[in-house]
Amino acid sequence: MKVNDLEKLKSEGIENLPSEERRRFLRFGLAVTGVFLGGSVLSLTSTRNAQGAMGPVPPAGKFPYKPHYTMVIRQNRCIDCERCMEACTKTNNVASYGYRTTILEQEIDLGRGEKGRMFMPVLCNHCNRPPCVRVCPTTATFKNKENGIVMMDYDRCIGCKTCMAACPYNARYFKEENRAIDKCNFCFDTRISKGESKTACAAACPAGVRIFGDLTNYDDEAYQLIHTPEKVVWVLRPETGAMPNVFYMND
Amino acid sequence: MKRNNKDIFLIFGLLALACVLFAGQVYGEEEYDEEAYGPLKPIVWAKPVKGVVFLHKTHTMGAGLECDSCHNGEMFEMAAGTAEENDDFTMASLYEGKYCGSCHDGETAFSSKTRCATCHVGVKGYNRLTGVVLHDAEGGNH
Repeated sequence: MKVNDLEKLKSEGIENLPSEERRRFLRFGLAVTGVFLGGSVLSLTSTRNAQGAMGPVPPAGKFPYKPHYTMVIRQNRCIDCERCMEACTKTNNVASYGYRTTILEQEIDLGRGEKGRMFMPVLCNHCNRPPCVRVCPTTATFKNKENGIVMMDYDRCIGCKTCMAACPYNARYFKEENRAIDKCNFCFDTRISKGESKTACAAACPAGVRIFGDLTNYDDEAYQLIHTPEKVVWVLRPETGAMPNVFYMND
Repeated sequence: MKRNNKDIFLIFGLLALACVLFAGQVYGEEEYDEEAYGPLKPIVWAKPVKGVVFLHKTHTMGAGLECDSCHNGEMFEMAAGTAEENDDFTMASLYEGKYCGSCHDGETAFSSKTRCATCHVGVKGYNRLTGVVLHDAEGGNH
């Protein structure tokens, strides 16, 4: 039926609707507004979309830690030479069956029937709202109050692996030797706290893929990279709301 | 009964395999003449970084280059793996127009400063192409 025809129809009115029908309509309305579920009308309005349109980089001055450590990954430069993984393993005594950082490989469509390849380095994203920390029953994993690094207290870890399940980035593994979960800590114990300026992986990268830095320092390369106006910056799995601190871009 | 089923699957599987092999010979492999186009086997470099691939097929059969376009006494020796023994077999040299950079300068062919993962297949690609089997599969945290 066309709209013009619809307009010509006479209103049926609501006086002829059975009361059951009206009740159902009313109940539906209440359910939508969340009254029945004990929610609030506010919970229906999504602010996530609005944030998404602004990009994943929080505005300057909105970084909760000082220094606020970050890693910027210039993804298209990665060639999977895996020197970062070698350096990480050596520096942090990573077990052969696990990883603190790894490189993912993806086949991409270049159009015209051509296939290309893309490598994606991944590591702990040191989220501002880390799901792993929230689920840990013994507070063995925690967010460092000064620098925001998600750290492990091996002695407190009971190896329940709940954090492994909660992590959106698959950045944790169970280390048999420690009987505890092991993960990236931005080389805090092995390098950064000893005065080094880069993590082992960033220092080992021959292609300048991994830029480690501090987002509260405006002169920092990492800060400047993700604030390059003409560049698109993204994070992995933003929909989890974890607010990751590892940013991706193409140079 | 169960055994019968297995046999049928086996026969079908072999038939399918034979078809694929036959089709490959007729339409793919046979057209490629190693005398004219160079070895079909990919050349995989491991130095200075692991996992860079070169395919004669793409360059000769695909792009129509002659053998002496690259094997001209300056760019590449005939023996595979000679270039990677040189200290100057680096990206910096390529940017200066040496080795692959002779053509991959952004004019003759895409610049060697771009599209890194086109030639860099990485450790994963290296292992695939050279047939290395990983016993400790990656992501062993499952």
